[in-house]
Amino acid sequence: MYSIDDGLKENIKHINKILMNKYKDVLSLDREFSKKYIQENVGPIVKLNKFTMDELFNFTKSGGILGIDGSKNRMGGAYPHFIEIYQGLAKSTLYKDKAIYKTDFYTPLYLENEGVNLLENTVEKEEQIRSKKLSSIEVEAALEGIREFNPYAVMMDGSLIRYDIECFDKWMELRRECEERGIILVGVIKDIKTSIIGDLFMNDTSLQIEECFYDRELLYGLLEYGEIIRIQSEVTKKSEEGFASLFMRSSNAPSVIGMDILDSQKDHLEEMARLVFTLTPKDSRGVPLWLDIVDSEVKIPDKMIRGLLESYLDRSILEMFFISERDKRTM
Amino acid sequence: MKVVGITTQQEVYIGSKDRNFRINEFLIITDSYQGDLMGEVVEAEAYNKYIPLSMHGELADSSVIESLKAIGYNVEEDTIYIAKVRLLNEALYPVEAGSDVRIPEFDEVKDLMIRSSVDEGLVLGVIKSTDQMAKGMDEEYKDLLYTFEDGQLKSQNEIPYIYNIKSMHQYPHVGVFGGSGSGKSFGLRVVLEELMNLNIPTIVLDPHFEMDFSEIEDYMPKDKAVIYDDKFKCLQVGFHVGVKFQDLSTQDIKNLLDASSPLTDAMNNVVDILFKRNDSYNSFHNRLKMLVEAQEEGSLDRISRRIEESNSNLEREGWQKRKELYLNYDKICPYSSVRGILWRLNRLNNEGIFSKDIKEIEEGLHMGKLIVIQGSTRILQVFSTYLVNNLYHKRREYKDALYKKVTADYFPPFIVVTDEAHNFAPKGYDCPSKSILKEISQEGRKYGVFLILATQRPTLLDETITAQLNTKFIFRTVRGSDIQTIKEETDITEEEARRLPYLKTGDVFVSESAMGRTIFARIRAANTTSPHTENPFDELKNKTEEDDNKFLEIIKDKLPINGDDFINVIKEIESETGLTYPLDLFEEKLNDLVDKGMIEKQKTPFFNVYR
Repeated sequence: MYSIDDGLKENIKHINKILMNKYKDVLSLDREFSKKYIQENVGPIVKLNKFTMDELFNFTKSGGILGIDGSKNRMGGAYPHFIEIYQGLAKSTLYKDKAIYKTDFYTPLYLENEGVNLLENTVEKEEQIRSKKLSSIEVEAALEGIREFNPYAVMMDGSLIRYDIECFDKWMELRRECEERGIILVGVIKDIKTSIIGDLFMNDTSLQIEECFYDRELLYGLLEYGEIIRIQSEVTKKSEEGFASLFMRSSNAPSVIGMDILDSQKDHLEEMARLVFTLTPKDSRGVPLWLDIVDSEVKIPDKMIRGLLESYLDRSILEMFFISERDKRTM
Repeated sequence: MKVVGITTQQEVYIGSKDRNFRINEFLIITDSYQGDLMGEVVEAEAYNKYIPLSMHGELADSSVIESLKAIGYNVEEDTIYIAKVRLLNEALYPVEAGSDVRIPEFDEVKDLMIRSSVDEGLVLGVIKSTDQMAKGMDEEYKDLLYTFEDGQLKSQNEIPYIYNIKSMHQYPHVGVFGGSGSGKSFGLRVVLEELMNLNIPTIVLDPHFEMDFSEIEDYMPKDKAVIYDDKFKCLQVGFHVGVKFQDLSTQDIKNLLDASSPLTDAMNNVVDILFKRNDSYNSFHNRLKMLVEAQEEGSLDRISRRIEESNSNLEREGWQKRKELYLNYDKICPYSSVRGILWRLNRLNNEGIFSKDIKEIEEGLHMGKLIVIQGSTRILQVFSTYLVNNLYHKRREYKDALYKKVTADYFPPFIVVTDEAHNFAPKGYDCPSKSILKEISQEGRKYGVFLILATQRPTLLDETITAQLNTKFIFRTVRGSDIQTIKEETDITEEEARRLPYLKTGDVFVSESAMGRTIFARIRAANTTSPHTENPFDELKNKTEEDDNKFLEIIKDKLPINGDDFINVIKEIESETGLTYPLDLFEEKLNDLVDKGMIEKQKTPFFNVYR
C-alpha cells in the first residue's frame, strides 16, 4: 500500500475544517428562505415544460440547431517549449455529414503573427493570446456555420460573454450577423462562475454574511428539476455588456447550469431554455446531449495529436522542442 | 466496409457505418497487394459512441434521443458495426488496413458451399447467413426445400446445404450430437428422408418407435408432399423379424445372451460346451433343461433310482438321457451357470426373438429400402448385435470374394443409423453391439458399410468410434462436459463452442473433414412427422372433451333428469348402450357437465333437476 505522510492528512483535515467553517452560514440558510430571497431579489423561479415532438419539428423546419464547441490539446513541457492545438467545430443537427472544423495552433516559439516580442511576453499576455485563439476559432466556425447552414439558433458551449471579452472583433461580427439574420445566439454554461446571488447576500446587511459566495455553491440542490431563475437585468453585470441570462437545473443532478443570450433576443431565452431542458437526459450531469455530441466530435485524443506531430514534424524538431522529460518517463 | 485496426494473417476487424454484420457471413477483402481474400465473420458487434454503457447511471434516455431526432439529428445513425473476420486461408502477409470489403458473389463461394449436385447429395438444409450470395445462384439450387421458423414454413432464400454422401468413401461415418429438444432427432429424420430419396440401403435402430415416415407433416403444401410409403419398412423385433436359431454360431449365441448383462467365464464355458452347431432352439434348450434337472437331483445314485422308478419307457429314456448328460457335463458345467444360461435363453425366447428371421431385412436392403428396426433398447441391443454382424459379414464376404476373384452372392453396401448411440457403443465398458460398431467404424469404409450415430451424450460414446466420425452435426448442447468433448473431437472454434448452448432448435454446426471447416446451417423442414408429436397436455384436454361429449350424447334425450330418478335413467342407459354407471359416478358426471356449462341444474324443494 501507499504510505501517506501524516502531515498531508492533517492538511486535508484542516481544509475541511476551514471550508465547513466558512460555509456554515450559507449551509444553514433555510432552503425556502433562500428561494424566497432569490424570487424577490434576483428574479422569478419558473418551472419549465419540455417541448412536444411537434414543437421540436418546428426547429427542424426553421433550420435546425447549430452546436459550437472547441477543444485544445497541449503537448510538450514547460514554457516556452510546448505547442497547443485548437480545434473549433460547428455542427448542425440537420446536416449530419457536413461539419465545419477550424484549427489553429500556438507555441511561444513562434509569435510573429501575434505581434509581440518573445522577451517582453508576460504570463498574462500569453494566457490571453491562448484564450483568444480558442475563442476565435470557435467564433469563426460559428460564422461559417451560420452562412453555410442558416440555422434557427446557434448553441455555443460556454458563456457568450467569454467571446465578448476574449475576441471582441470577431465576436461583434458574429453578433451583428446573427442579429441581422434573426438567428438566435445562445450560450450554455456548464460550469457557472458568477456570484450574482453571492454578491446580493454579502451586500444585504440583514443577513450577516461577510464573505462572497459563488452562485454554484449557493444554488447547489436549491432548484427543482426543470426550474429556472430568470435573472433580472438590474442585478447582473452582464446586462451592461448586452446579455440576458438565467440559471437552470436541467437534470436530476443537483448542480445548476447557466444560459445567456443577446439582449436583443432575450424574448427567446426561455424558449432556448426549454430546448436545452428537452435535450438534456434526466440522469445526466445537466448538459444537453447535443452539446455532448459536438464536444465528443471536436475533441482530439492526445495520442492522435502526438501521432500527428510525430509524423509531420522532423524528429529533431520534435525532440528538441516538444518532448518533455516527463513524456519520456517510464515509471 | 473497411478493414480497421491491427490486422494479422489470420484475423482482421472490419468496420462499417451502415451495415450490420451477421455471424458466419462470408466477406471478401480486396487487399491491394494480395488480391481478394475470403473470410468468415466470427464475431459481430455494434457500438454507438453517443449511447455508451455508463456505470455511473448517466444514460441518454430515449425521450432525449427522440427529441434530438425531432430537431433533425438521429443519434442511432452514429452506430458503427464491427466484425471480427477469420480468413479461410491464411494470408501471406497481414491484411492491409483500410482495404475495402465486399459481399462475395455466388460463383466465388460456390466451391466452398456446394460440394455435391442436388441429385447425388443429401439436401439437408440451408447454410445460414448466405441469403445475399444466394441471389445469383444457379436455378438448380433454388426452391429445393422449406425451412420451418417461428411456427411457419419459409421458402428457401439461402444457399442449400448439400451433404456430399459420396465423400463418405474417404471420410466415413457421421455423428449427430445435441441435447434433447435441440432438433437432433428431427435432423436425423431429414437425413433419413434424403437417404430414402437416393434409395440407399439403410438399417435404422429405433428404440423410440419414432422413425415412421408414413405421416406427412400438415404444414407441407399438398403439391410438395413426398410420399415415402414404399421406401421404408418398420419391423418390430420378435414380431416381424427375429433371429434364426439354426444360423447362430457359438459366438452369436454368446453375444445374444451377453446383451442384458455380461456372461461370466463359467457361463461362457457352458455355452461353448453345450451348444452344438446346427442346434435348433429346442434341441439346445432341451439339453440345458435336462442337465439342470439332472443336476437338481444331486447325485448319480438318485438319477439311477429315477430310471428304475420310471413308469413308462418314455420317462425312462428321458432319465437315461439326463444321466448321460450328467456324466458328461456335470463336472465342467456348474449348476448355477447352466441355470443362468437357461434363464436368459428363456427370456429371449419369450420376447419372440427366435420365432422369426432377418430375411425381410435382407430383401429390403437389396431393394434399396430404409429398414426401421423397432424394439426396446435392450432388445435392440441384443438383436442389432446379431443383425449388424450378420449383414456386415455378408457384405464383407462379397467384397472379399470379389477381391479373390471367386463368386459370391451380391450384398449391397449399406448404412447403419441409430439414435441414442451411447447405448449401443458405450464408453468404458464392453457390450456386444459395441464391438461390431467399432469394427465397422474402423474398417467399414473398405466394405462400403457406414454409420450414422446420434446421441445426446457424446461424452458417453466410445472414443474410438467418436474419433472415426468424420462428419459431425452439432446441435444445441448445454452440458459443459459434452461441449468439451465436441471441442476436442471437431474443428469448431472457441467462438462457435461458446454459441453452442444458445443455438436455435434446428440450427446446426456441421464439422466435415471433407470441408476442413465448420458450416453453420439450418436443417430443412421435414416432409414427414414423428408419431409422437402430439402434446400430452393437448391429448388430455382432447380426451376429456371427447368423454364429456360422449356422455352428453347418451343422456341428451333423457333430459330433464330428476334427482330422484337416477336409477331408472341408469337402467335405460344400460339397456340401450350396455354401459353401466354406479349411482354416485352418474351424479358426479352430471355435476361435472353442469360445471362446464353444458347442462343446467335446477334446485327444487325435493330434488335437483338437470336439464
